[in-house]
Amino acid sequence: MVEVRRRVTIPAELDRLAEIRAVVRDVAHGCEAPADCIDDLVQAVDEAATNIIVHGYRGAQGTIELTAELVSDDIVFTLADTAPSYDPTTVPPPDLTVPPAQRRPGGMGVHLMRLATDSLVHRPRPGGGNILTLTRARARRFKEV
Amino acid sequence: MAMQTTIERVEAHVPITVMTLTGELDASNYLRLVDDVRPLYGAGVRHLLLDLTDLTFISSSGLVSLYSIEKVMQGQEPPDPEYGWGALHEVGRAVDDGQIQSAVQLCGVQPGVREVIERTGLDRLFRIHPDRATAVAEF
Repeated sequence: MVEVRRRVTIPAELDRLAEIRAVVRDVAHGCEAPADCIDDLVQAVDEAATNIIVHGYRGAQGTIELTAELVSDDIVFTLADTAPSYDPTTVPPPDLTVPPAQRRPGGMGVHLMRLATDSLVHRPRPGGGNILTLTRARARRFKEV
Repeated sequence: MAMQTTIERVEAHVPITVMTLTGELDASNYLRLVDDVRPLYGAGVRHLLLDLTDLTFISSSGLVSLYSIEKVMQGQEPPDPEYGWGALHEVGRAVDDGQIQSAVQLCGVQPGVREVIERTGLDRLFRIHPDRATAVAEF
């Protein structure tokens, strides 16, 4: 069963990140998620939104459409934008054999997104843009650092 | 929620400057935090305690600012904010090589923030105390 819990459109600006986190917290509380799940979702969505603003829009004006759903026992957040294609799921895990200066920037946020979610899926948005879906089970998941 | 900082001086075994962070540290304010620390180092501060009791959120950008603060307090230039992982792995090597005697310590780190710090290995750089009184006594 899919229940849409929230759908908001927020300007893609760093000063609006707190508002995005507040929406995530509110939705997660409403889904009766435990504290660790709420923290993970807030972290993951914040990092995803930051990536969209910094690496997607790159300072250009735009919006982030944030949708929250409860799918069975999973909380699912979807972030849709109209920025040039940017797929954070292709950022490889950190390779310690590569000199630091040659590592891809922004990977730390993606690392945190991966640890905080059970799945992270990117797909192109029809007509242009990106759709990123983050899923986190309400119950304790098995994935660990 | 925006983030606020307050500064206090504490005389202990060494003069300690305590910076209290209240709110959320994210990509919108992490550079400002580094800018707040620069004049402290310039004024002669060499022992900095970051009290994170009221810090409720930290993003990867915030982690970069913590590392940058350490660099500033070592009298060095902070890394490019885009350096990301490079900065944290540089930390790991420096700690392993015994190069860093951290001038910055943390206290009152809340569980959610601590988890993020540990997930990225930044806990290797900072001595983390349970509360301010313990930190001041052991600085």
